[in-house]
This record gives sequence, C-alpha cells and structure tokens, in this order.
Amino acid sequence: MRNIYFDLTQELNTEGPIAALASGQAVVFYRLALMSKDGDWILQETPEACRRALTVLEKHGAHYRSGAPLDLRWLGGGWSSHFEFSDPQGRRIRCDFVTRPPRVRPEEVAALFSPPHLLEPMLVVGLEPLIRMKRTQRAKDYPIIGELSRLLSPEREVELTTDPDRVLALATVYGKNSERMPVRAARAGGSREDVVVALAREADRLQQEDRARLDRYRLASEPYLRELQAAKIGDLALPLAHERICEIAERWLPFNPLETGA
Amino acid sequence: MELLSEDDLNLKEMTGEELDRAWDLWFDLAQATNEFDPPYTHGVFVLCELDSAPTAPTQESPPGAATAHPEHPRRE
Repeated sequence: MRNIYFDLTQELNTEGPIAALASGQAVVFYRLALMSKDGDWILQETPEACRRALTVLEKHGAHYRSGAPLDLRWLGGGWSSHFEFSDPQGRRIRCDFVTRPPRVRPEEVAALFSPPHLLEPMLVVGLEPLIRMKRTQRAKDYPIIGELSRLLSPEREVELTTDPDRVLALATVYGKNSERMPVRAARAGGSREDVVVALAREADRLQQEDRARLDRYRLASEPYLRELQAAKIGDLALPLAHERICEIAERWLPFNPLETGA
Repeated sequence: MELLSEDDLNLKEMTGEELDRAWDLWFDLAQATNEFDPPYTHGVFVLCELDSAPTAPTQESPPGAATAHPEHPRRE
C-alpha cells in the first residue's frame, strides 16, 4: 500500500497546487528515513486552498485536533492547524498545516506553487527550505539535516551540514566565503574537536531560538486551548467544528503573537 | 561520519514499490505507540501542555503519555 501521506498530497493538489509535503514525510520522500507518523504540509496562503483542504479532510472523516483554525487570519500569523482521522485499516492519520513555515521566506513558499514545481508529480518542499524547517528545538532533527545536506551541491552542503567530517572535507575548497563558525574553524586549521564544538554551539543556538519562538505561541494560546477543550471541538463534524473553532479563536487567539508581543 | 543507520540509508536502494511496502510495514508497527505519542510533533503547539483527562496513570508513564488528547481521552 502506498504511503497515505503521499496519496493525500496528490489529492490535495488534484484541482491545482495548494499543498507541499514537508517535514518528516518529505524526509521519507527524499529516502533518508522512515521517521514520522504524521503528515505535514505547507499550504498556499489563499482562502481557496483552505477551502479545498477542508473538503479533502471532511471526505476522509477528519476532525479538528486542538490547534488554530484553518483560516488565513491565524495561519498568516504563523499558527498551525491540526487534524486527525483513521484510515480504512484503523490506523491513526494526523494532518498538520501551516502557511508560514518557520525559517522559510515568503517568496520561497510562493515559489512552491509556481512553475516549474507545477510540473512535478508530487509537490514536496525543496531541500534547503526543508533543512531550515528542521532547525527545531528537537535534537533528533540535526542528524537528518546532515543527511539532507549531502543531497546538495558541495557549495551549499558546507553551509548547512551538521557533519563535522563533511565540514572538514569541504571547508578548504568550498567554504572560502562562509561566515559559518564551524567552517571558519576548519579553514583556520582547527582540530576536528574545534569543528565539533562549533557545530554543537551552532545547533544549541538554533534550538534555543526555536524554543523561544514556540514559547511565544505557547503563552498566547493557553486560554484558547482551554476554551477549545471545553467546547469538545474534536467531537463535532468538521464543517460545524470549523465554524465553532473560528468563533472561539476570534475571542481568544491573537492573530500573530510575534507581532502583538503576546 | 554516518549520521543515520544503514537501515535508513538503504531506503535509497529501494524501488518505489519497495519503499511503499517498507513504509506501510513501519507505519503498521508504529501504531502500537500511538497512546504514548506527544500531542504535537510539528507546528507551533509543540510546547503546549494540554490538560489531561484522568484516564491513565500519571506515574511510571513515559514523557507525553500522561497527557491525553483533550478531545480524545485514552480508551481503557
């Protein structure tokens, strides 16, 4: 049986490109690891994309999980929407959507839904945006970044890899203009340990930055999540749940906690 | 330095059909840990602690297991 998240990607894009597969299933697509039970998509930031995604989810009997409404007012502020259903074998299928993935520029997102990506059989986020999305607070994402980087040109690999041996191998020829500390350590004749330490510091900084960002969303969503829990959103059919979750979000969820300082 | 296991890296050698079968088998097996998964693995709610429904023991549970999904408390 095919990966249901690959099938869902194609189903979401049946009427035109609106959703690019990302995160763990994109790593499966690039054949690096079977590492995620969930599906994550970057959704085009249009009302039509939201409408079509809700239609596909309703067809599969999905319900809302606690999260932001699939509505541009919140998605445009970086929030994520979360859904769940069971496949015909009774397996749990979780579907997560964002329109503003962290550390990916808006023009990169827009390019996903423009030629030449339109000609590809399955819409999947590109390697470099995927690597930046993987710079999370989770330690387990950093080995994946190293492997994803091997698929890039050496000029780009040296800028993104988390593998000290690759930094040492590439820095002299391809790292001349790099401002990255591990690369500079290697070019300055530092030991392997120097490069390892520089990589560890870099990963720690990235993890702390991601955690600080997520903390802003956590703080901003606490009252809202309590209201959602009381409303038992997950028990409602999707169209009604969508209406209700928007009403609750209008009262309790700031559109963009990074702008409001919430 | 090898950052992933040989099993992971062998995915590159598989045909599309083999990859689908491998994923399907892995996904079947992975269902066994559904009850212990954290509520979120992606998105901006990953640090949120959802109020738990008192349906499972809170001691001796792995991280994340004590917090049932608010709309879907664990079924005994």
